[in-house]
Amino acid sequence: MASSRLIGLLLVAPALLAVGALFVYPLGFSVATAFTTKEGILTLGNFYRAFELYSVDIGFTLVIVGASTLLCGLLAIAIGGYLTLGENPRAVAILKWLYRWPLFIPFVVAAQCMRTFIAKNGLMNNSLVSLGILEPIQTTSLLDWRGIVITFVWKQTPFVALLVAGAMASLDRSTIEAARNLGAGRLRILIEIVTPQVLPTLVVALILSFVTMMSVLSVPIMISGESPTMMTVDMAFRINAYGDYGTANALGVLSYLMTGAVAWIYLRRGIRQGGKP
Amino acid sequence: MAGAALEIDRVEAAYGATRVLKGVSLAVRPGEFVALLGSSGCGKTTLLRAVSGFVPIAAGRISVDGRDISGLPPDKRDMAMVFQSYALWPHMTAAGNIGYGLKLRGWGKARIAERVGQMLAMLKLDGLGERMVTQLSGGQRQRVALGRALAIDPRILLLDEPLSNLDARIREDVRHEIKALQNKLGITAIHVTHDREEAMVMADRIVILDAGEIAQVGSPEEVYNRPASAFVASFMGAGNVVRLAARRDGSGLVLGAGELSNEIQVPVAAVSGPADGQVVAHFRGEAATLGAADADEAGKLILRGRIAQASYPGGHWRYGVAVGTQHFMVDDPRRLPVGEPVGIGLPLSSLHLFAAGSPADRA
Repeated sequence: MASSRLIGLLLVAPALLAVGALFVYPLGFSVATAFTTKEGILTLGNFYRAFELYSVDIGFTLVIVGASTLLCGLLAIAIGGYLTLGENPRAVAILKWLYRWPLFIPFVVAAQCMRTFIAKNGLMNNSLVSLGILEPIQTTSLLDWRGIVITFVWKQTPFVALLVAGAMASLDRSTIEAARNLGAGRLRILIEIVTPQVLPTLVVALILSFVTMMSVLSVPIMISGESPTMMTVDMAFRINAYGDYGTANALGVLSYLMTGAVAWIYLRRGIRQGGKP
Repeated sequence: MAGAALEIDRVEAAYGATRVLKGVSLAVRPGEFVALLGSSGCGKTTLLRAVSGFVPIAAGRISVDGRDISGLPPDKRDMAMVFQSYALWPHMTAAGNIGYGLKLRGWGKARIAERVGQMLAMLKLDGLGERMVTQLSGGQRQRVALGRALAIDPRILLLDEPLSNLDARIREDVRHEIKALQNKLGITAIHVTHDREEAMVMADRIVILDAGEIAQVGSPEEVYNRPASAFVASFMGAGNVVRLAARRDGSGLVLGAGELSNEIQVPVAAVSGPADGQVVAHFRGEAATLGAADADEAGKLILRGRIAQASYPGGHWRYGVAVGTQHFMVDDPRRLPVGEPVGIGLPLSSLHLFAAGSPADRA
C-alpha cells in the first residue's frame, strides 16, 4: 500500500515540479512583490499607487475586454448558426473556409494589419472614399479603444466560433428539424433551440477568450498609444520606465482577480459536470 | 383520389446520384392510419421526410387536401413529426416542449398552459410538466414527443419509427396507446416502421416499400394473406421458399417437388403469373404441420425430410427440417427427436405461389 503510494507520487512528481517551478513560484513571487516595498516591508502602497494612477485604465480594460467578449460571442453564434442552419451549401463552404484564418495569426501581426486597415488613411477609409461612400474630410481614425475592440474581436471570434460551431454540429439534428417541423423559422431556431443547447461550450469559449485578451500587450500598444489604455501597457511602462515591480505586480494581482473571477465560473461549471473541461 | 387528406403523386427523390424514390404514388384518406413498411434503405423514411419537407423531391407532387405543398418549406406544411430519437429539447421542461408549437402560433400563456395541461393528462404525464425532459424515462419522453406533435392539432401526424428506442414490453403498450389516441382524435397519420408486427397492429393500411417503389398496398390482412409478390411474402414472414415443378392438367395445375414431395392439384388462378414450368412457393412455419414422412393427404403438399434442429421459443417447438439440400423452419406443438423422418404438410391455403422468373417472383 505504502509502496504503491510512493510510486504514484514519483509518477506525478515531474508534472508537479514543472507546475511548481514554472507557475506557482513566479505567481507567488509576483504576488508577494505586490504586497512589499523594495526593502521587503509589507505594504498596501503599491495598490494605492495603482489605483491612484491607473483606476481609469483598470475600468477601461474591463470594459474593452468585456465588450470584446460579448461581441465575439454574438459573432460566433451568428457564424456557427449559419454553418449549422444555412441552406446555401456554397456560402456555407466559403464561410467554413474563411472564418478560421485569424486563428493562425499572432496578436502582434493582427494589430499591425489593423493599423494599416483602420487608420485615417488606412485601407478601409481609402476604399470607402474611392467607392464614394465617404468624403476624404469625413474619414476618422479608429486607432483608439474602438481599434482595440475590433482587433480583439477579429482575432478571438474564430476561436469562439470554432468551439461553438463544433458544438452546434454535434447537436442531434432532429432537435432542429423538430422545431422547423412545428413552424419555427431559422433565426428563431438559432436563438431558442440551438444556442441554449450549446451554451456551456459558448461560456467556456468566452471565458478562455476573456482571459487571453486580458493578457495581450501588443494590441493596445500598437493600436492606441494614447491614454486611457489597458493595464498590460501600464505594467510594462512601470517596469521599463521606473523598474517599479511593486506597482506593476499590484496591477498584475488585480488582473489575476478579474480573470480569477471568470475562471471560477469555468471551474464551478466543470465540477458540476463531473470534472469535464 | 377525391377527398384524400394527403396525396402523393409519382414522387421521386434522390441523394446525389442514388435514386431513393422511383415514382411513388399513394392517397391517404382523412383519419386513416397508414404504415410505411420496409427494410433498411427501401426509401420509407425518405418518403416521410419528403412529405414533411426535409427532403426535396425531384419529380411528382405532394398535396394536402388538394393543395400542392411540394414547394413549401417544412415550417409551412402544418404537419407534426414524432422523431425516432424523440428530438426533445433538453433545455426545456416537458411542458415547454409540448407548448413550443403553440408559442410559435402566437398563443397566449394561459391558453398554452391549458392546452399543455390537457395534453399531459391525455398522455398520462400528470405532474411531470415541470420536469426537465432529461429527467424522464424513455417511455415518458416518447409521450412528451407525441404530445408536442399533437398539441398543435396538425393536419397530418408523421411518425418516424417512434417506438424503436423503447424496450419490448413498453413498446407493446405504447403501440396500442398511440393507435387508440389516433382513433379518438381522428387524425390522419403516417407511420414509418421496419417492424412488421407493429405495422399490422397499428395501421389501417400498410404500404410495403421495396427499393424505392411500392411493392403492395393493402389492409394488414390483405398483405399478410395475399402477398402480391415473393418479396412481400418473404417480408410478411413467409420465409420458407421451395421451388416446385408445375404442369398443366386439364383446367388446373399439378405441383410437386419431384421425389422430395407428393403432388398437389391447384387451380391455375392460385399462381401469380404464367404458371408453366417452375413455381416458387412461400409458406410460414406456423401454417405448416408435421406428420409422418410417408403420409399423402389429398389437397396437401407434403415435403419429406428429416428434423435437423429443434428449439423452444415458447408455446410450441420450432424445428429446422432438412428436405434434400434445403432447410425449412416449421412450428409444431409436439416434442420430436432430432433425426426423425417427417413430412411437412402444407394445405393449399398456406402456400403463396408465384411463377418462377415472373415479376412477382422477385424476392
